[in-house]
Amino acid sequence: MQTVSIEAKPGGVLDVVLSGEIDFTNAAHIVDVVREAIAGGCPETVRVDLAAVTFLDSSGLGVLIRAMKAAAAVDAAFRVEHPTEKVFDQLQMTGLLAPFGIAETGG
Amino acid sequence: MKTDQGYQHRLNELEAKIGRARLDPVVVCERAAGLLAGRIGCRVDEAHTHLRQLAAEQDRDVHEVAADALAALEARGVTPPAQLRTAADALTRHHRTPSPRPDPLPQPDPVPPTREWTEIVQQVLDALPGRRTLVAPERDPDGLIVDYRFVAVSSSVVDLSGRRREDLLGRRVSEVYPSIVDGPVWAAWRDALADRQPREVGPVPYVSSDDDSPTGVTVTVHVQPLGDGLLNSWVRHDEQTRLAERMAHTERLGNLGWGEWDLVTDTTVWSDELYRIYERDPADGPMPREESEALVLPDDDGVRKQAAVAFGRGETADLLYRIRVNGRIKHLRAVVDAVRDAGGRPLKIYGILQDVTARESSRVKLAQVERQLREHQESLAIEHRLAAQLQQIVLPIPDAPIDLPGIRVAVRYLPAERASRVGGDWYHAAVARDGSVVLAVGDVAGHGVQAAATMAQLRHTLTALTVTTTTHPAELLSNLNELLYAGDAPDGTATAVILRFDPATRQLRWAQAGHPAPLHTRAGVTTELARPYGPLLGALPDPGYDTAGITIEHDDVVVIYTDGLVEHRSHSLAEGLVPVVARLNRFSAEEQPASLAGLLAELHTANPDDDTCILAARCLERRHG
Repeated sequence: MQTVSIEAKPGGVLDVVLSGEIDFTNAAHIVDVVREAIAGGCPETVRVDLAAVTFLDSSGLGVLIRAMKAAAAVDAAFRVEHPTEKVFDQLQMTGLLAPFGIAETGG
Repeated sequence: MKTDQGYQHRLNELEAKIGRARLDPVVVCERAAGLLAGRIGCRVDEAHTHLRQLAAEQDRDVHEVAADALAALEARGVTPPAQLRTAADALTRHHRTPSPRPDPLPQPDPVPPTREWTEIVQQVLDALPGRRTLVAPERDPDGLIVDYRFVAVSSSVVDLSGRRREDLLGRRVSEVYPSIVDGPVWAAWRDALADRQPREVGPVPYVSSDDDSPTGVTVTVHVQPLGDGLLNSWVRHDEQTRLAERMAHTERLGNLGWGEWDLVTDTTVWSDELYRIYERDPADGPMPREESEALVLPDDDGVRKQAAVAFGRGETADLLYRIRVNGRIKHLRAVVDAVRDAGGRPLKIYGILQDVTARESSRVKLAQVERQLREHQESLAIEHRLAAQLQQIVLPIPDAPIDLPGIRVAVRYLPAERASRVGGDWYHAAVARDGSVVLAVGDVAGHGVQAAATMAQLRHTLTALTVTTTTHPAELLSNLNELLYAGDAPDGTATAVILRFDPATRQLRWAQAGHPAPLHTRAGVTTELARPYGPLLGALPDPGYDTAGITIEHDDVVVIYTDGLVEHRSHSLAEGLVPVVARLNRFSAEEQPASLAGLLAELHTANPDDDTCILAARCLERRHG
């Protein structure tokens, strides 16, 4: 089951696409993969797509936070896109909508 | 002649090999222990121990002691090899000319064919599987062959007309099978007697003097000169085809192959499946024995040696070993037996091999998975125990409600149902130095020992801060955020809600960091209090936390909880909150409210995925005076 795929797009954009349930069972692996891609690629923007993520636990949230920190470390912009309603609620609850560049209205 | 010498040579080699295997220290020890155990009626491992003790007492190598023991134990009942040879020598002595031998046996005087030698052949035929006849030529006074007579017949012989041994023995071939006379078989017999070479005739039509014999059957006759006679075996072609088909099916179904090594003619035959097992092109012929033996994994040498010893004792060897073919390891089961002469000497060695790799590898895989599972469960159990112990040490959960100034507090903590998910939930309920009551619950991201350690750090820091620095919820959260963001637990995040209750004013102020808002219930109505701005701890360098506040009244209940209470994979937070709110409504609607502990017990249903910590606080009646 593929939970993470990463693609470097033109214009210095690194697309990280997550899918399925992101939780303590796979968080550490995903963090390793994402960190390596960010540190190795030095992108200008890191874009994380959550459209296919059905569940995040606290470790799953940790993945996003570590990706954000890794992006900050190479001075890249960090953006999270297309959270499902449930994930949106979680990000709102944890106060991460603004840091992840998501509008409060859910757009 | 040449064939005969070659056979002797191969036989010597085989005996030498068995002898070497017998001398292998491991084999010697095994055999000595086995014989000892059998002789004195103890277990084999006890026999081993005894041998080792003996060796220690005598200050000798255990193998030497075992060899001595073996020699003593085997002293009786062993048939000398020379004796074993006698009968077989009798079989061939008539046409053997004396040849130089390293261990010459007394050469018997040449004797003409007598009844005696055909009787021995008859005994051999009786002992061997298969259907064979021995015919001897009948000559006229000029020495010309005029007919043949059946002089020995396997007991299992039944010809196509139903004739058995007793119908054939002693009769002339021309009487029983007149059509053979001057036919191809007749010619083959004559030629074989002349050049003493074996030959094969056929397929030839089967015809007998009996009119009832089936038609359309062909046979192939193998002719082997033996003494002054000719040993014949017949193979029916339809039978052979049927048999071959059946064999092929069986071979393929069972991954079975067979091979034969004829020591007399030094020919090796492999079945199709054996070529498949060894991944060899049948066009290349059977693999030379040295080559196939080199494929055996060195670890399995011992097994092969044990089998060789068993074979040497005349037993059927049945062994499991591994070979490496084209880089892949195959597990083989081999059953090796021999066609032996009357003296027990092997004439032909045949082996049936089964490729049991699939079975072996699935067995090994299963064992591996079971072991990993066990190890995994063990390490999980250890970690669970450790995390639970840590939690117990830093977070003793009070059994009964605690009375603090103006407020009564009850706490329940339930570890996750799944051991691996026990994590870092914590609570705080204490009076601060300024007389206010500080209440908090928090949830460290992740599970296990690391989370429990972070939990301990947060809780102790909070306690220290409320005593030394501040009781302001937002300031407390900022400090905890800094601890996690910049501290020595990198990447740790946590959520928390902190309340400050002023018993004098009954004012309740709170701040939260990525955490569910407190619930407030009064007179059957439960509301979720405001969630002032506050991202979870450890995510951002300096987020800033907002504060909210209300004033509460006597019997109001405020509940703070970690999201294990409401969060499930299967539904949203809001959905999870519905039953909690309903229960709180009932609780606060009652005239005589139940105890806080009872409320918490009812709220509590274990979440499989997450720890749950609930803290309920009821505002007490103001004390007067």
